[in-house]
Amino acid sequence: MIDQMHHLQIPQQLEVASASNSPRTGISQPQLARPTSEKRRGAGSNSERMLDAKTLRRLAQNREAAKKSRLRKKAYVQQLESSRIRLSQLEQDLQRARSQGFFMGGGGGAGGNISSGAAIFDMEYARWLEDDHKHMTEIRTALQAHLSDGDLRVILDGYITHYDEIFRLKGVAAKSDVFHLITGMWTTPAERCFLWMGGFRPSELVKMLTAQLDPLTEQQVMGIYNLQRSTEQAEGALSQGLEQLQQSLTDTIASGSVNDSMHHMAVALGKLTNLEGFVRQADNLRQQTLHQLHRVLTVRQAARCFLVIGEYYGRLRALSSLWASRPRETFIGDDILCQATTDLQMVQQSSQNHFSNF
Amino acid sequence: MHYQAESYGNYYASTVRQSAAVDPLERVVRLASGSAVVIFSLSTCCMCHAVKRLFCGMGVNPTVYELDLVPRGKEIERALMRVLGGGSSVPVVFVGGKLVGAMDRVMASHINGTLVPLLKEAGALWL
Repeated sequence: MIDQMHHLQIPQQLEVASASNSPRTGISQPQLARPTSEKRRGAGSNSERMLDAKTLRRLAQNREAAKKSRLRKKAYVQQLESSRIRLSQLEQDLQRARSQGFFMGGGGGAGGNISSGAAIFDMEYARWLEDDHKHMTEIRTALQAHLSDGDLRVILDGYITHYDEIFRLKGVAAKSDVFHLITGMWTTPAERCFLWMGGFRPSELVKMLTAQLDPLTEQQVMGIYNLQRSTEQAEGALSQGLEQLQQSLTDTIASGSVNDSMHHMAVALGKLTNLEGFVRQADNLRQQTLHQLHRVLTVRQAARCFLVIGEYYGRLRALSSLWASRPRETFIGDDILCQATTDLQMVQQSSQNHFSNF
Repeated sequence: MHYQAESYGNYYASTVRQSAAVDPLERVVRLASGSAVVIFSLSTCCMCHAVKRLFCGMGVNPTVYELDLVPRGKEIERALMRVLGGGSSVPVVFVGGKLVGAMDRVMASHINGTLVPLLKEAGALWL
């Protein structure tokens, strides 16, 4: 068929259609006749065609299309690669967790009674914490190196995306095991103490930051103040909604005779599903709060702000570790005392990383 | 927020009766343009309770339509579910006749500072 085209001199429009199916790599000039390569390349490789604008444009378009196609393929392959890595990481985590009997998150009560959704989330959260540490180091370095605002913004956007990721993961976990989230079994004891609807309380975070964020312009002060007010109002509303759910649940469980208890259980189960909605809205509130902080502050201020947030929760987690391994008065024997002291030293060493900047 | 049970009961009952032959989405639009802040709700829905508390806490007095108590409320519920494209139909909030959305959009707009100006523009808030 190629030979026919050589003889018949097909109009250029038809050549465009077939030429685009056989992309070339970076030729700017039509080549002299090379029969073997021409056969593969299809129409338009006539050695005697003219070098007019239309041809040049077509060649350029072909190059563009080929380039785009290559970029798409590259992106796809990269995606596949990272998915593969992620999969092997998850498999490793699963292996580790199995061999250690799901020790994380303070345990699920009576040794390892933890749902698969909860276990998966705990692993993902542990990995997220590791990433968090890396992001914070990156920001800290960037601030100390006095990078340009543009560069800092890229790093900061990456950190925000990292936070978006944990909220996405929590959303998935809420579907499979909302109790795990709402009871805070995925966090450390000290964090659990301050838990609100399955996570941190946004207004408390803003309040904590207000003291750490000087100096601020008047507009920013207003912005932060409004953020604190709006988060307080939103939290109050959600809390009241949850209270009504709890009340309704109590009424359902308490009421009913022995005969229709199954019916009441079914109704109660239906009401319980609403719990997921509240945790989701609370996480939505947390996410929006972080995004608004990003909007109100300058890039440098926001970078410092997120560093403060990360370090604050790092210290809270360290506090939990210290508390868990503090030496107790009773049952003191020499060997036990030695062990506790060693534990405390180990924890102090790790917590020093958290405190190192202060 | 105070539930004007008698007056708004008559208000929405008569509005609803008038629009008996109308497409449910048109009813939604008509009801939504009737007041500065309109909330479509279900009397048993706790998230709806939360959104009502949010507006009351801000000093806003919303008009609430409990779709389980309104005649042909089921149609409105279904229409809202299509509009939202999601799993739940309520709560849905309109301010100044314009759709704000479900709970997540309402909260997001409050946090990012766009809700209060919208309320002021609609005459629902005077501070």
